[in-house]
Amino acid sequence: MIAVTQLNTDEVLRYMGCPPDRAHGALREQVEDCAGELLGAVRPRWSWRAVEIAFEAGGIRLEGGLLLPGQDLKSHLAGCGRAAVFCATLGAEVDALIRRAERQDMARAFTLDCCASAAVEAVCDRIETELQEKFPGCSFPFRYSPGYGDLPLEVQGPLLELLDAPRRAGLCATQTHLLTPRKSVTAILGAADGEIERTKRSCLGCPAQGSCQYRKAGGHCGIS
Amino acid sequence: MEFRELLKAPGPVILDGGMGTMLQAKGLKLGEHPELAALDHPDWLLEIHRAYVEAGTQILCASTFGANREKLKRTGKTVEEVIPPSVAIAREAAAGKALVALDLGPIGQLLEPTGTLDFETAVDIFAQQVRCGVKAGVDLVKIETMTDLQECRAALLAVKENSALPVIVSLTYEERGRTFLGHSPACAALTLEGMGADVIGINCSLGPREMPGLVRELTKWTTLPISVKPNAGLPDPGGAGYDITADQFAEAMAQLTELGVKCYGGCCGTTPEYIAKMCTALEGRTIKGVPRHVPAAVCSPTRVVPIDRVRVIGERINPTGKKRMKEALLRDDVDFMLSQALEQTQAGADILDVNVGLPEIDEAAMMVKVVKALQGVTDAPLQLDSTRPEVLEKALRVCCGKAIVNSVNGDEETLDAILPLVKKYGAAVVGLTLDKNGIPKTALDRLDIARRILNRALNYGIRREDVYIDCLTLTVSAEQAAASQTLEALSRVKKELGLKTVLGVSNISFGLPARSLVNQNFLMMAMTRGLDLPIINPNLEPMMAAVRCYHLLTNIDADARDYISAYADAAVSTSITAGAGQTQSAAPAGERTLEQIVVAGLKGEAPAATRKLLETMDSMEVVDGVLIPALDKVGAGFEAGRVFLPQLIQAAGAAQAAFEVIREVLSAQPGADSAPKAPIVLATVKGDIHDIGKNIVKVLLENYGYPVIDLGKDVEPAAVAEAAKKHAAPLVGLSALMTTTLGSMEQTIRLLREEHVPCKVVVGGAVLTAGYAQKIGADFYAKDAKESVDVARRVIG
Repeated sequence: MIAVTQLNTDEVLRYMGCPPDRAHGALREQVEDCAGELLGAVRPRWSWRAVEIAFEAGGIRLEGGLLLPGQDLKSHLAGCGRAAVFCATLGAEVDALIRRAERQDMARAFTLDCCASAAVEAVCDRIETELQEKFPGCSFPFRYSPGYGDLPLEVQGPLLELLDAPRRAGLCATQTHLLTPRKSVTAILGAADGEIERTKRSCLGCPAQGSCQYRKAGGHCGIS
Repeated sequence: MEFRELLKAPGPVILDGGMGTMLQAKGLKLGEHPELAALDHPDWLLEIHRAYVEAGTQILCASTFGANREKLKRTGKTVEEVIPPSVAIAREAAAGKALVALDLGPIGQLLEPTGTLDFETAVDIFAQQVRCGVKAGVDLVKIETMTDLQECRAALLAVKENSALPVIVSLTYEERGRTFLGHSPACAALTLEGMGADVIGINCSLGPREMPGLVRELTKWTTLPISVKPNAGLPDPGGAGYDITADQFAEAMAQLTELGVKCYGGCCGTTPEYIAKMCTALEGRTIKGVPRHVPAAVCSPTRVVPIDRVRVIGERINPTGKKRMKEALLRDDVDFMLSQALEQTQAGADILDVNVGLPEIDEAAMMVKVVKALQGVTDAPLQLDSTRPEVLEKALRVCCGKAIVNSVNGDEETLDAILPLVKKYGAAVVGLTLDKNGIPKTALDRLDIARRILNRALNYGIRREDVYIDCLTLTVSAEQAAASQTLEALSRVKKELGLKTVLGVSNISFGLPARSLVNQNFLMMAMTRGLDLPIINPNLEPMMAAVRCYHLLTNIDADARDYISAYADAAVSTSITAGAGQTQSAAPAGERTLEQIVVAGLKGEAPAATRKLLETMDSMEVVDGVLIPALDKVGAGFEAGRVFLPQLIQAAGAAQAAFEVIREVLSAQPGADSAPKAPIVLATVKGDIHDIGKNIVKVLLENYGYPVIDLGKDVEPAAVAEAAKKHAAPLVGLSALMTTTLGSMEQTIRLLREEHVPCKVVVGGAVLTAGYAQKIGADFYAKDAKESVDVARRVIG
C-alpha cells in the first residue's frame, strides 16, 4: 500500500507556473490547503511486472511480445537486460474533486490539479524505490514513460493490458491513448546488472518543450 | 433445470472458479490473448470446463469475458468469431450437467465522466455480445468484475433489450467496500434490482474472508438472491499468487450460508480443487430465504438517500420564472446549472430536481447533457422532471443510480406512457393528484386519484415504496381554503395508503407579501402532517431551518447533532419577522476598493464591494471603469512576469463574482437586455480530456464580457461547427494538450473551413507552437489565457 501524506509546496508552485521564491503567503496557504484536501481523495493503486527486454532495430521488445517502438528508449535502456513495467493512478475520485472545484472556484481547481500532478509523481517515486529493492545490486536509469522522446502514447493500451491494469488498478486508456483516471502514469524502469551512466531527465525530449509553463517560470516540471 | 428453477431450489447454486489463472497454468503465455482461448487452445478450455463440472459446478461461464469488439480489436478477430466457439466448448464440457452462461466483463475503457466512452456506445458494444450469445444458445448471462455501476447498467440494459435470459450482475469491490470508482454495494443493489437483474453479486478483488461485510450491506438493499465469487484470498500486489488454500477457501465460503448467499464460486486463483472442496463443505445445506425488506430510497452511484426522514429536493434547476436559468439553457451554459447544483447541495439539498424544458430548445438532448454533467460533479440522486415521455426515457437511460421521475398524474394516458419507463429503469415516481378533470377540490377526491396511481403502478410491477404522491399546493391568496385540503389529502395518503409524499412548497405564497413567512410555516405544517419530500429552494435559510427544527423536535436528529452543527457558531437572526429569507450578507467593513479586490483576487469580498459601487455608479461604468482596467493591470503584470498564473486566475475569479452581481442587477431591470457581445465558442478537441486550460481561458474571457459557449472536452469536430453556426460566433477557441489529439484539432479547423463557417480560430495548449498553429490553418495562436483575451479583443473588439 502506497500512501502519500504530504506534498512539496515548492514543487506544486512550480507546476502552477509560479517560482517558489516569488509566491506570497496567501498562495502558499492555498497550496497547502488544497494539498490537504487532495490527499484526502487520493487512493493510489498500482500494478507492476518484471520483464526481460530485448533490443531490436525498431525498439525495445518486452517479454510477452510487446514492442515499444523508437530509438530514444533504446539508448535510455542501454545496458539493461530486464525492466520493471508499472502503472499507477490516484483514482477517479481525484478527477471528481477537480471537476467539482472547476464549477465553483477556478483558482482552487487549478491548484488542486497541480497538487494532483505532484502527488502522482510522489506515488511513482515511492513505487520506484520499492521496485528497486526487487532488483538487488542493479543500477537504474530514470523511469521512462510513453510520450517521452519518440515513445508514442499508442503503447498505453497494450502496456495496461500487460499489467492487467483495468482489473488491478481501475486504470484504462481512451481510444486516443490517454490514461483515465486522468492523474495516472505508466512507466518502464530499466535494471542493469552493472554500472550504467546515469542521465538526468531532460527537457530536450519532452513534447512540451518550447511552450512549457515551468520553463517559463524559470524552472522545470520537477521530473528528474 | 433452468437457472430460475435452480434459484428456487433450497440448496446453494455452485458456480465455477478462475479461468485466466487456469489458462496460465496450462501454458498461456504472457502477451497471449485469453479472449482467443477457444480458437487457439480449445483443448485446454474444454479440459478446464470439464474439471469444473466434475468439481460440482452447475453453471459454467463461457470464455467470453473479454470478447467485446473493443478488446478484440487488437486480436484481429470479431465477436462473431469468438463467442460461438467459446459457448460451444462450454456446452460440450457441460454435457447436460451444467448450464452455460455468457460471461460479460468490462469493455476495457472507462465511461463518462471519468473516461470518454459514451453510455449508448457501451450499450451497443454489450448488445452485440448478447445477440451473439443468444444465437449460440447460452442459458443465462453473467455480468461480472465491474467497477462502474454505469457500465453494469449498460450491460444489463443490453441483456434486457436483446434477450429474455436471466442475468447475474456482479461488481468488484476494494477492501474499503467501494469499487475503484467509489461506487457502493448499496447503490448497486438498489439500482440493479430496479432494472431487473435476477441475482446481484460480488466477485474478484477480495478473498472469501472479506465477503461478510459486503454481503450484509447487499442484503439491506436488495431482496434478490446474492452471488459470491471471491479470489483465492488477497493478491500479492506485484506478482501472481493469492494467499489462501483450497481448504481455507471452502471453510470461509461455507460460513456465508448463514448470511443467505445463494450462488457460490471462485474467481482469480481458484481452481477445480477449490470448487470441489467448497462443494463438499456446502453439501446438504439449505439456504434459508431470510425475508428482507428494502426501505424507500433513491441513489446516485455513490450515495443512497433513504426516505426515512424529511429529504429536501432542490428546485433551482428549472427555468420556470428564472430568467438567468433560461438564458443559460439558451446558451448551452451547462456550467451555470452545475454551479446551481453545488450551491443547493451545499445548502442541504438531498436530491436535485432537473427540469430543462424550454420551447426553444431540444429538451431531450439538453436533458441528457445536463444529467451527465450533473453526475460528474454531484453525488446527489436526481429527480428527472419533464412532461414528455421521450425526454424522461432519454434521461432515465443515462442517469446512473435510482432516480425519481417527476411526474405522472391520474390521467390514463400519462400512466400508460410513463409507468413502463419507471419500471424498466427502476426509478421511483411522483404521482400528482390531478387528472383530465383538473385538480379535485377535496382531499377525498385527491386521495382517490392517489389510490388509482398506486394501483396502476403496482400493476406495472413498481414497488409501493417507489410511489411518492404529490397532493398539490395551490396558491393561498387565490384559494384560501385550499391549503387545508392539501394538508388533509397529504395526511390521508400517508396514513391510508402508506406512501411517501412530495410537495412543491413555494407556490403557496404566490402574490402575498413576506412570502418566506408563509412558505416556512406551510412547510412546517406539511411536515407535521407527514410530508417526506419538500421541493424547495434550499438556499433560503428559513426553509432549511424549518427542516432542521422539525428533525430536532421529532427526535429524528439524534442528540441534536445536525441542528447544533448547523447553528452552534451562527449568529442567525432568531427572528423570523421582518426581512426573514433575505440572505444578503452584511457588507464587510473592508476598506479595499473593488479594483484592489480584483487585483488581489479576493473573490469573497467582490460581491459586496460591487453592490456598494452600484449604488453610485452605472453598471457599465463599473465594468468599463473598474473591472476591466483591474483585469488589464493583472494581465499586464502576468505578461511582464510579475504576476503568475495562480494570481491571474484568482483575479479572474474575483472579477467573475463581481460580474455575477452586475448580471443579477441588469436582469432585474425590465427591458435592460443590452445587446451582449458576440459569443465565443470554446472546446477541448475530440479525444482530449484535459480541459483545465480551456476552463481557465473561459473564466478570463467571460470576465472581459465575452459570452462563452463552452462545449466541454472530447468534442466532435461537427459539434464545434454546429455551435459556431448556431450561435453565429465570430471566434472559435480550440484546446489540445496531447500530441495525439492535435490531429483532431486540425480536422476541426478543416471542417470549419469546408463548411464556410465565418469565424476566426484561435488555438492553444501545452504542445502547440505558433508555427504548428499556422500549419493546421488556425488564425491565431494564444500561448496562454491572457493572450486569448488579446485575440478576442482583436477579433470582436
